[in-house]
Amino acid sequence: MSLPQFKLLRPRATDEAVSFLAKHAGNVRILAGGTDLIPSMRQKLFEPESVLDLRGITELRGIRPLASGAVEIGALTTLSAIERSAYLRQHFPVLTEGAATVASPVLRNMGTIGGNICLDTRCLWYNQSLTWRKGCGFCIKKDGNLCHVAPGGSKCWAAFSGDTPPALLCLNAEVEIAGPNGARRIALREFYTGDGENYRKLEANELVTRVFLPEASADYRGIYRKLRVRGSIDYPLAGVAVVVKRLNGHVADARLAITAVNPAPLLVQRAGEMLIGKIIDEALADAVGDLAARTAKPLTTSALTPEYRREMIRVFTKRAVLAAARP
Amino acid sequence: MNNNFSIIGKPTAMIDAAEKTTGAGKYTDDLSVPGMLAGKILHSPYPHARIKRIDTSRAEKLEGVVAVVVGKDAPNPYGILPVGHDEHALAFDKVRYVGDNVACVVAVSEAIAEKAMELVDVEYEVLPAYFDPEESMKAQSDLIHDNKPGNLEKDYHHAFGDPDKGFAEAVHVAEARFIANEVTHAAMEPHSTLASFELDPHTGKLGRLTVWSSTQVPYYLQHKLSLVLEMPMSQIRVIKPLVGGGFGGKSEVIPLEIIAAVAARKAQAPVKITYTREEVFWAHRGRPRTIIDLKTGIKSDGRITSVKARVVQDGGAYCSYGVVTILYSGALLGALYDIPNIQYDGYRVLTNKPACGAMRGHGTVNVRFAFESQLDELAAKAGIDSAEIRQRNLLMPPCITVNGLRVQSYGLPECIEKTVERSGWKRRKGKLPKGRGLGIACSHYVSGAANSIIRSDMPHSTVNIKIDRDGGVVVYTGASEIGQGSDTMTAQVAAEMLGCSLSRVRVIAADTDLTPIDIGSYSSRVTFMAGNATLRAAEDVKKRIAAAAAKKMNCPAEELVFRDDLVFKKGSVPPVVKKDQAEEVEVTQAGASVSGRVEGQILRGSLQQKRKDEGPKEWMTFEEAVVAAIDFHGALTGTGSYAPPQEARGGKHKGAGVGPSPAYSYSAQVAEVSLDEETGEVTVHKVWAAHDCGRALNPVSVEGQIIGSVWMGMGQALTEEMVWKDGMLMNPGMLEYRSPSSVESPEIEPIIVESIDPEGPFGAKECSEGSLAATIPAIANAIYDAVGVRLHESPFTPERVLAALRAKNNSKRLNLTEGVDPTAPARFREHGGSLCFKGKGPERHALDPARREAPAAARGAD
Repeated sequence: MSLPQFKLLRPRATDEAVSFLAKHAGNVRILAGGTDLIPSMRQKLFEPESVLDLRGITELRGIRPLASGAVEIGALTTLSAIERSAYLRQHFPVLTEGAATVASPVLRNMGTIGGNICLDTRCLWYNQSLTWRKGCGFCIKKDGNLCHVAPGGSKCWAAFSGDTPPALLCLNAEVEIAGPNGARRIALREFYTGDGENYRKLEANELVTRVFLPEASADYRGIYRKLRVRGSIDYPLAGVAVVVKRLNGHVADARLAITAVNPAPLLVQRAGEMLIGKIIDEALADAVGDLAARTAKPLTTSALTPEYRREMIRVFTKRAVLAAARP
Repeated sequence: MNNNFSIIGKPTAMIDAAEKTTGAGKYTDDLSVPGMLAGKILHSPYPHARIKRIDTSRAEKLEGVVAVVVGKDAPNPYGILPVGHDEHALAFDKVRYVGDNVACVVAVSEAIAEKAMELVDVEYEVLPAYFDPEESMKAQSDLIHDNKPGNLEKDYHHAFGDPDKGFAEAVHVAEARFIANEVTHAAMEPHSTLASFELDPHTGKLGRLTVWSSTQVPYYLQHKLSLVLEMPMSQIRVIKPLVGGGFGGKSEVIPLEIIAAVAARKAQAPVKITYTREEVFWAHRGRPRTIIDLKTGIKSDGRITSVKARVVQDGGAYCSYGVVTILYSGALLGALYDIPNIQYDGYRVLTNKPACGAMRGHGTVNVRFAFESQLDELAAKAGIDSAEIRQRNLLMPPCITVNGLRVQSYGLPECIEKTVERSGWKRRKGKLPKGRGLGIACSHYVSGAANSIIRSDMPHSTVNIKIDRDGGVVVYTGASEIGQGSDTMTAQVAAEMLGCSLSRVRVIAADTDLTPIDIGSYSSRVTFMAGNATLRAAEDVKKRIAAAAAKKMNCPAEELVFRDDLVFKKGSVPPVVKKDQAEEVEVTQAGASVSGRVEGQILRGSLQQKRKDEGPKEWMTFEEAVVAAIDFHGALTGTGSYAPPQEARGGKHKGAGVGPSPAYSYSAQVAEVSLDEETGEVTVHKVWAAHDCGRALNPVSVEGQIIGSVWMGMGQALTEEMVWKDGMLMNPGMLEYRSPSSVESPEIEPIIVESIDPEGPFGAKECSEGSLAATIPAIANAIYDAVGVRLHESPFTPERVLAALRAKNNSKRLNLTEGVDPTAPARFREHGGSLCFKGKGPERHALDPARREAPAAARGAD
């Protein structure tokens, strides 16, 4: 499968990128690591006139701990840089765990945190070649008007399959979005729509430039558990991130997020409430697991049955919560 | 035991290793010839449809498009089996699976060809399609092939001994249905073919055709090209460059190989086509989804009295190797254990899916999974240890099995013994912590089919050897190196027989203009057959050298010994070779630099000069002997060939031609696994794999093959499965078709068992297929040992294991598709049951069997 022809735009600075975007808005795709975009372009999921290659923008690369204890991460920081950051591992371990499970080492050397946040939603009926998709009559996410996994609904159920966003949601991360009117900052939890087709709130002339981890999220115990068939390469079939801060054995604060079982990564809102003030034990972990499983709405978008994947959200949540409670 | 050999039996690096590891080696897709065009194949979007009209005019008008090829450009049907000529280069009247080949666009670039493909207008009349073989067999109309009533490609019904009497004698009987889901080869190199015509010097029109292709069977390709293109075989040259793995997926003529040649003819220019990974999945020819209804009876001492198997294979839309596959499934119930009575009913069924074909362990693997699982069940019933019950059912070779297979060398007893010993079986079986278990299983495979696909009396392998004046040995063999070590084996056998160093031997292989006929790399035949042919060719040429050397040395030729680049009189102490020369030989053997080799030659040359006028000698160098022979005979060449002996060619019943082999390899394996009982995830910790390969010509290569077989078997056991929905292959890529990664690879301890076959070259048998089949049941049996769950459907994905565990524990039920219980699968499901597609799926014909049932209520997982 050949790549469609496109014009390659290579800005050196964020402003330049933003002006390129404004000029080509609607007919440009953004390339950060390219690990997802390039195969998708070969499959003709995207045939943009231009590709905006951000890799020359050095200001968007790197992990910067701020004096306050907060951290700023450039969107172009590679997942392997995050995985290997001693600082993040010490203060925001859930993020390094999440980053370390993405794909394979080679892909983590290319893939970026910004790309993982913006990762296109995935479905067996969507991530296929043009020829294949013709055979199934296309789907609602691309070129068609039918959802093959949940017909009747006109909604796209492609699953969001990033590994770092659940961790970032647990850390109350914010993202900086640059556009023609300057930069704005929103909480990551506001970033996703919950619809598989238009899965993120990002205008055609905007791009994600930075991620912020607030100082208040530092030094939580954090665990990420990922369901996959193989120990490497695979996207998550279900994923659970949990962070816990304890005081005298009781949970002082906790957050839990799930991924790959909905069109968006989701904070399980009531999980924190259930955990705060308690001592974590098997029964409590079980109850949180049930809650997380109820939040998950997997459909047949990937390998393994939806029933099983939801069941694993329950098991993995229980395990993650128990692991986070271990001293 | 190997001390008598100087080359074989020693771990030897593959002779093409440098090319492959440095990236210098050329695979077909690396090749390019001047004026070469790119070909792209348009595939069918429908599983079953009549082509009413193809209009290529819009595509042809696109700038850069040179030709558009359609079915009528090559109307002759072909197929790998003489009984299965049911394929066309491009669809002639009908398409029969999603991905079937409709047209081929030839253009100056791949991108333009892809664009033009979208401009080919095809009008289809959609027909009802068949996806479930048991449904397909009931078809009355809209047959997949008009000449195959009931969509039945072939069925066989064999009874050997008296199966019913056997069951009457049995004390314990087990009967169950097993389902093995569909898997594919997933070779690293996608198929690629480059076809180029020369101009005929007399007419100026297109003349000879040269085809470079990623194939395991250059000679069969040449044969089929001749059939389709209506050209004499001598006008077609097939060259096999480096091949990046075959596993059976390149052991027949794959559509692109014919299409490229037809396209090159129409475009009047060289055309290269390389499949995308998705196209590789559509070309497929992998292991069919198989339903096995198996019944086995044993006496109270564990002796098998009778076996009855009904096997249904979901063969896909074309015959391919199907007739052979369904026969192997029955025939290879024999030759592993002593089974007095066998009944076999095999059905190869056509469905609207890509054709299945030969895949590593061709025909045996799925039935072996069922049989070894059931034997384990029976052992438990009879209270006999699982290893012990296998030892009680051994053959007593030399013998001929009840279904006519001749068994001579038989290393199975030692294989079982060694795996039991190394794995600590007696000490540990049944005593591991909860959730951890050990399982044992055995398997075997042919060392080459005793009967060729194309019926003829032609030898299966022929090898020529030419020796140059400086002692360089060139072996011409049609055997196809596909990564398995064929070329290295050839060089080793020639060097051993000629007593020269390995570095002298150059192998020219698989080029139909240069190399004599060899029927290819399939059915694990190369070491045994091409090895024997090489041995005989080397013997032939050695005789000539010996005659000349004997004259010089004044002794009978029979008294000469060839070894270590020397020729000396038998019984005489080999002369003390000049130290520097001996070192030089050592060094080249390990792969020394070119300059080292040249220096060695000069050195040896001067040595020759010095010794020229000396009288009769006690010894000569290899070169001196070669020079003497060339001075005497002129060109120094030899030929050898191999045909399996008549007594190894099997019985007389219908279908008796498949299964017989001059020798069988044997394998026993113990797997240690653990289970996560909450998630159903299975971890394989270690596999002890003993394999009887007759004699290990290259132990490191044998070990590699054993490890590779176990690893590939583990993929089929745990993660690999082709998933279907209404004829759409849902996972046509390496991301969603999950071959294990290095992370899942367990420690594998290969154990080489050498039974020294009386007919194999130096006693060698096959080593690359026989081990695979044991891995799947070894893992299944280990799962049973760990948690008491008997899985009857492969692969043992976490959800299947969990569903089975929950069913056993009566805990909360985990619904798989249609409430299937993986411990007792009853019905065949199109999508294998690992995924439940509740969606509408693609548009299909209203009469599709898949559409007859009301679709499940559309809803989410909750």
